[in-house]
Amino acid sequence: MKQLTLTEEADSVWQFLLQYKSVTVEKLVQWTGLDQSRIMVIGAAGVDDGHIEIIEIPRIEVDPAEGSDTLLERGLDERRAVAALIEEGGSAPMPRFVALAKEHDIAVSAVFRFGAARGWIKREKGVGGPPTVSVTEAGRAAMSGEAPDERAVRLALGGKRYLDEMDGIDVGSIRKLLGGRKELARLRDRTRRELALTARGELAYKAGRRLVVERSQLTQDDLRTGAWRDIALRPYDVTLPAARVYPAKPHPVRKIIEQTRRAFLELGFEEVGSPAVEVAFWNFDALFQPQDHPARDMQDTFYMAEPAVGELPREEWVSGVQAAHEDGGETGSTGWGYRWSPERAQAMVLRTHCTSATIRALARHPAAPYKAFCVGWTHRNETLSYKHLPVFHQVDGIIIDEHASLSTLLGTLKAFYQKMGFEKVRFKPAFYPYTEPSVDVMVYMPERGKWLEMGGSGIFRPEVTEPLGCEHPVLAWGLGIERLAMLRLGFSDIRDLYQGGLDVVEGVPVCR
Amino acid sequence: MPIISVDARRLDGMLANDYTAETLGETLDRIGCDVEEVIDLDRYRCPNCGALVEGSLGSDTVKVCSVCGHSQEDGFDKVDSVTAIRIDLLAARPDLFDIGGLARALKGYLGEVRGLPHYPVGAPTLRVHIDASVDSDDCRRPYIHCAVVEMPPLDDAMLATIMKMQENLHWGVGRDRKLASIGVYDLATLEGDIHYTTLHPDDEPFEALGMPGQTMSGRQILEEHPKGVAYAGLLDDCARYPVLRDSKGVVLSMPPIINSEPTKVRVGSTRLFVDVTGPSDAAVEASLAMMVTSMAELGGTITACTMVRPDGSTQVTPDLSPETREVDLTHAKQWLGLPLDEDSLTDCFERMRLDVKPLGEGRFAVTYPAFRGDIRHPVDLLEDLAIGFGYENIEPALVPTMTVGKPRPEEVVSGAARMVMFGLGFTEIMSLPMTTEADHFTKLRLDVPERYVRVANPKLKALTVVRSHLMGGVMNALHHNRRRPMPVRLFELDNCVRLADGDEPTAQFGAAEERRLCFAEIGPEAGFAAVRSVLDALCFELGHEATYSATEHPTFVEGRVAAFSAGPLEGVIGEVHPEALDAFGIDYPVGLVEIRVAAIDWEG
Repeated sequence: MKQLTLTEEADSVWQFLLQYKSVTVEKLVQWTGLDQSRIMVIGAAGVDDGHIEIIEIPRIEVDPAEGSDTLLERGLDERRAVAALIEEGGSAPMPRFVALAKEHDIAVSAVFRFGAARGWIKREKGVGGPPTVSVTEAGRAAMSGEAPDERAVRLALGGKRYLDEMDGIDVGSIRKLLGGRKELARLRDRTRRELALTARGELAYKAGRRLVVERSQLTQDDLRTGAWRDIALRPYDVTLPAARVYPAKPHPVRKIIEQTRRAFLELGFEEVGSPAVEVAFWNFDALFQPQDHPARDMQDTFYMAEPAVGELPREEWVSGVQAAHEDGGETGSTGWGYRWSPERAQAMVLRTHCTSATIRALARHPAAPYKAFCVGWTHRNETLSYKHLPVFHQVDGIIIDEHASLSTLLGTLKAFYQKMGFEKVRFKPAFYPYTEPSVDVMVYMPERGKWLEMGGSGIFRPEVTEPLGCEHPVLAWGLGIERLAMLRLGFSDIRDLYQGGLDVVEGVPVCR
Repeated sequence: MPIISVDARRLDGMLANDYTAETLGETLDRIGCDVEEVIDLDRYRCPNCGALVEGSLGSDTVKVCSVCGHSQEDGFDKVDSVTAIRIDLLAARPDLFDIGGLARALKGYLGEVRGLPHYPVGAPTLRVHIDASVDSDDCRRPYIHCAVVEMPPLDDAMLATIMKMQENLHWGVGRDRKLASIGVYDLATLEGDIHYTTLHPDDEPFEALGMPGQTMSGRQILEEHPKGVAYAGLLDDCARYPVLRDSKGVVLSMPPIINSEPTKVRVGSTRLFVDVTGPSDAAVEASLAMMVTSMAELGGTITACTMVRPDGSTQVTPDLSPETREVDLTHAKQWLGLPLDEDSLTDCFERMRLDVKPLGEGRFAVTYPAFRGDIRHPVDLLEDLAIGFGYENIEPALVPTMTVGKPRPEEVVSGAARMVMFGLGFTEIMSLPMTTEADHFTKLRLDVPERYVRVANPKLKALTVVRSHLMGGVMNALHHNRRRPMPVRLFELDNCVRLADGDEPTAQFGAAEERRLCFAEIGPEAGFAAVRSVLDALCFELGHEATYSATEHPTFVEGRVAAFSAGPLEGVIGEVHPEALDAFGIDYPVGLVEIRVAAIDWEG
């Protein structure tokens, strides 16, 4: 058998158990000076080894009510009623008794309820008159002593609160007398725990135990001097919850932006940017959005008061875009059939999408092969609500390539969303003014059991690419970031993302 | 965007084979309709005009008529309940706005019919005389196209369909009646030729639709009639209002506002007169083509009308002659990346209700109907080809060309800065780049400058500022976290915009953008020393050494604020002034640093 190892604390408990066989936890607390949880840990360790048994016995605690000491001292109502009746000669007619009770400030109802239950007082029908109240023999006898419930409350007030600690108490009568008398005391069901040494425990102890010092933490000295060899580190309940701490970490939207950037960089894209305060030319005109298009309304787009007007880019681009709008120019299109205004193209707006960044990149770099993407803030003239913000992020991308086609558009988007963790990606026809064909991207969210729309895409119309000197098919897309964040992270109010509360950041694990 | 609810059983009844509502919904989705859902829907009758009105989702009655504008507190009586396919309309495809147009597309896609739909147009009998006053300084609404359509006697559902069709075309083609507006009348109530002319706003009153038994002048209608009030703005520049009358002088309508009560279409009407007027010839022509061809799909027979211009010249409308563009098989295969040959190309186009004629050498003449106004380039036909092929049948592929990924320079330095800030125990927050003068200037004890990057027309009136620094967002975040265990450490790293000076490279846009970082610590011990250590550490990790000089800044406590620069980094560090703390509702000291991390050159 392995040698029994005990800390000094545990040893002090074991000593008492050896001596008394079985001891209540309260007594152990009192005798050893350890707190109850320490005693229970020592007990539990002993139980694991089969050395100690924990015995649980149901017991009743008397919990005296506030003011019960005064009640007892003054005498309970029924006791004082008996005394008053004895002075009246042992009995009185009901009206007289009621008057007596009033005189002595006795509650008549308590007298009949508890006095009768004790058998001290009885009420008899009067002959042709009111009923008579009289004292019984037991009532007279009781005057010289103390009733069991009175004694129980008195003992409890003195600190002996458990019925099993009181000698000669009949539990049944106490329940009857105190069960419904809250002003005197409440009875509470408790469990008494006793620790007892098993035969095996006793044997192990007698075979000789090793004593170690127990501590909660080692000091530098303990480690340097080797004293740690005789020190036992106090065991913990390793299943208990710990205090929560949070690492400093990225904002959940930033995390998705970074994930998005990494995905496109891995796919061989160059990251590009464009000003948030943008010329309408790049935001709208270069994308073949007619100048009377509803999206260009003051209702939908933020126009700048300062700077209000910007410069148009190089003349060949401007004239090419103008021709595409007016009659299609060299692009083989009929155009929109209106007079294009350079002034309207010079208005400064807050960019409504990051396509302004990718179209600028296309103009700078019209040759194939080229892949570019941009993640950034985009703006729509909206008020704030749980669903909408006037500012949000989009990722836009383009591929200029001789192999660019509808099929490779779908392949690229599918690769991107699979990198973002969506297994199933689906496409459906859509209609956008600057792509042909146009495609909506949908991903399947298993958590919600449905398909969700992520953004729009397509192949730039020749009216978009040719005026900027690009002769190849160009794939393009604009996908929402916040939508992804909301769906993935389970937020229901989009405003929560940007109010600065750290709970938003802390509450979202880095890996989600 | 408007949503239409199409009765699935009625749609199915227009097709040769039987389909479930779900199949129809899925097929429309594949054709490109934005199908919201397939649901059961109640229909109600307007007690005023008798129109059939759809119940809205989640409410158990209807109180406002979408046709005449009548409203009553009690709610209308329920008529019936139907299984409806709810579709979000797409402005680009007005030919798919109504049950007739949807049935036309479905017939082709489901293989019941192939190729171009043909709509015979009967020779004109009715003349419409255009008065010179509709194209004058008093009134500029010169274009009018008309047709007569003979329908099977109208029932409730058909009447509601035609009204809805008109309403949606007003939105989709007419740009809310700005470019074109449509009127439909019971021809039996009209006599002789029609005259398109103008009326004086205060003379010549008539009985407007929805207000029977009451005559109103043009001006009264604009001021009192619900539709008049809604569209009065369209006649702002007119001294005289456009009007259509018959040969007896009976008013048909005052476009683009309202029709007249006596000439209105009712249950049982069969011969309908349709007019479209507007300032855009293209929108007027397209609206009429869309309207009459859809009515033809619903069982109508079209008869032309003759427009007689003020100079005596004439034009017969509608002109439904199809148009043709050339498509090249090689180009189509390259553009779409699909395994097409001559047969499958023909098959896909015909499914989309287009005619195809081979021209040899892989070239094809593709003919499309007059109502396909969305087609302005051969690539538009390629979209139809792809939809005909079915997006779900496309094999996704990647471009085989090798390219090298490359991040933006400001993102590279930001990534490093972010990592260092996390290591120093600062958590990242994000705030909106648009803000208010109060948060951006006043609360920080900064004067509102005369010129700053400012928005002209925000819906949220106070939201005029495009941020030029990050301090306001960070201070708001500290306020939000003021009841957490102290200290709290956080940062924001994002772009800011400022007005550009004359000789800067980005001056062409009038604004310059920079990547900025703002970090702060709040708590009983927070102050200059703590953030100074953090700033030194950050500069060291980014490869720079900071030099500091005492400065003054209204946001910070005097004597506890410094300007610093470290290589390309520069900024300000200090203890935030108690008045600023108070303005943001913060009750612990705050040490704060605002840094320009990188200037941004978009062309670089």
